[in-house]
Parts: sequence; C-alpha cells; structure tokens
Amino acid sequence: MTTIEELVEANVISRIQVEMHPRDQGLRLLYGTPDFIAWLGELAKGSGPERRLGEATAAEQVDDLFNTFLSGQPLVYMKQFRSIRAEKNAVWELKTPDVRIFGWFLKKDCFVGVFGNWADVIKDHDLYRGYRIAIRRMRRELGVDETLCVQGVTPGDVLSL
Amino acid sequence: MTYFHFDIGERARHAGRFIGRVRGELLRALSERKSEIGFSQQGLAQKLDTERALINRQLSGEANLTLRSLADLAWAMDMEISFELKKPHPEAGQNQPMTTSTVGYGQIKYINGAAKRVSMLAVPANSELGQSKKSA
Repeated sequence: MTTIEELVEANVISRIQVEMHPRDQGLRLLYGTPDFIAWLGELAKGSGPERRLGEATAAEQVDDLFNTFLSGQPLVYMKQFRSIRAEKNAVWELKTPDVRIFGWFLKKDCFVGVFGNWADVIKDHDLYRGYRIAIRRMRRELGVDETLCVQGVTPGDVLSL
Repeated sequence: MTYFHFDIGERARHAGRFIGRVRGELLRALSERKSEIGFSQQGLAQKLDTERALINRQLSGEANLTLRSLADLAWAMDMEISFELKKPHPEAGQNQPMTTSTVGYGQIKYINGAAKRVSMLAVPANSELGQSKKSA
C-alpha cells in the first residue's frame, strides 16, 4: 500500500508551507505535484490573470487561502472549496476570486494540488472536465484511488469544520 | 523531507491576509444573522437598495470594498465595526520563531518581525461587547 511518505520520497508530491502567525499552528496538510509547485513559483514571482477581479493580487489571494487552510480556520463551502462533481473519489477545487486550484484530499484535512490556473481562463475554456479526468488518471496510475483518496463528497468528509 | 515555502513577502502577506480576514468576517457575520433571523444576501441588497449580484461579488472578493461599502454592509446586518491599530506583542502560549543559530556566538536574539497589525471585528451593535466599545 502506498503511503504519503512514499509519494514524498519518490518526489511525486512535496509539502507546501506558508509563513504563519506565531500564535497559529499547522492543523492541516498541503502537498503539491512538481508541476503545481512550479506554477506556484511563478505566481510568487508575480504572474497573474490579465484582468483581476479581487482587490488582492493572485499571489496574495493564494497565500491567504493556504494560510486559512493550514492553520485550520473554517473555509466557506462553495466560495473557497467544492467538489467538481458529486462522485466517489471526487476531484476538489480550492478557490479564490481569481485563482482555481484542482486536486484531491489524500485524507481528511490533507489536500494535494495538481493544477492551478486563472478562474477566467478555466471558465472561458471550460477546463473543469479536462482537469477532473487528468487528476483521476493520475490517481489511477499512482494506484492511490482506494487508499489515499477521501471517498465522501460532503464538506465534513474532507475538512474538520 | 523536501518542501516548498510559498513566500510572497511580508508586505504582500499582510495585505492579502487583512483583505481575506475582512471578507471572512463579513461572511461569518452574515451567516450568523442568517441563522438568527433568516437574513440573506437578498435581504442585504434590499436594505441597501442595490443588486444582490453586487453584494455577492463584494462578499466573495470579486468586487472591491470601500470603507463606505464596508460600513453599509455592517449597518445593514445591524453589526458594529470595531477597528484598532496596535503594536504587535507576543501572546501567552504562542510559538516564538527562532532566527539565530543554536551553535551560539553570544546571546540568542529573538526578532519579532511582525509589523503593525490591524484588528477588525464585526460585533452585533446591541451586544455587550458592542456596548462596552461604545462607552469606552
């Protein structure tokens, strides 16, 4: 049976961290694939959508979302996270006004990001289906569909609320 | 263990998290009002004589909030805004980031890198906290 540690060891995923307030403690876990982490690297350097909706920059939005997630604060269902389709082994989306992050929950409170993109690009090109299929294929190839994937689709199945 | 530190710089981090906190507080207040008296985004829009879509965009972060619109939203929810700027100070039980080597060349220094913090909390206008703020 594959474990999270083995995936990390094989460089399939890496842990993602943000600077947290000294009073906060990491209560959830966040991982990313190498491609997703490369995308985050570009985001941190200042890349962003052509037309921004949010008051904060795309990088600021993602930093705030990650901090909220990692420090165990409540996330607003539908506005900050949701499943792409109500199905067993669902693919999940983390959301900010301008950014969408697709991945899945390895375990409760433990998310792995696979794709990141601008919200308007995803909507304009209807990329939801493509990302969902690609993530399901990736999980199958890794052999973690049944072992490292939350089965439920309600918010309480994936996050301690 | 390899890990990626998503670092956007202290200034950007403070701005983004403050904006996120204000919106989170508005959403929390609206949710509270909804469970108490069934107050919805539609109710907010009617009270403010505006469109529900604009309220939705403001709360989801897709439209900018001005101080005026923030005050209006709080008023429409019958909430009071508490706002203060204060110097950061360590709180009991918080983690203390180590910034120096433990090998030790002289005394270990603790550096508190956090800048001035803004605290914003929406409280019901008729709550005890709201009353004490008013009388303070």
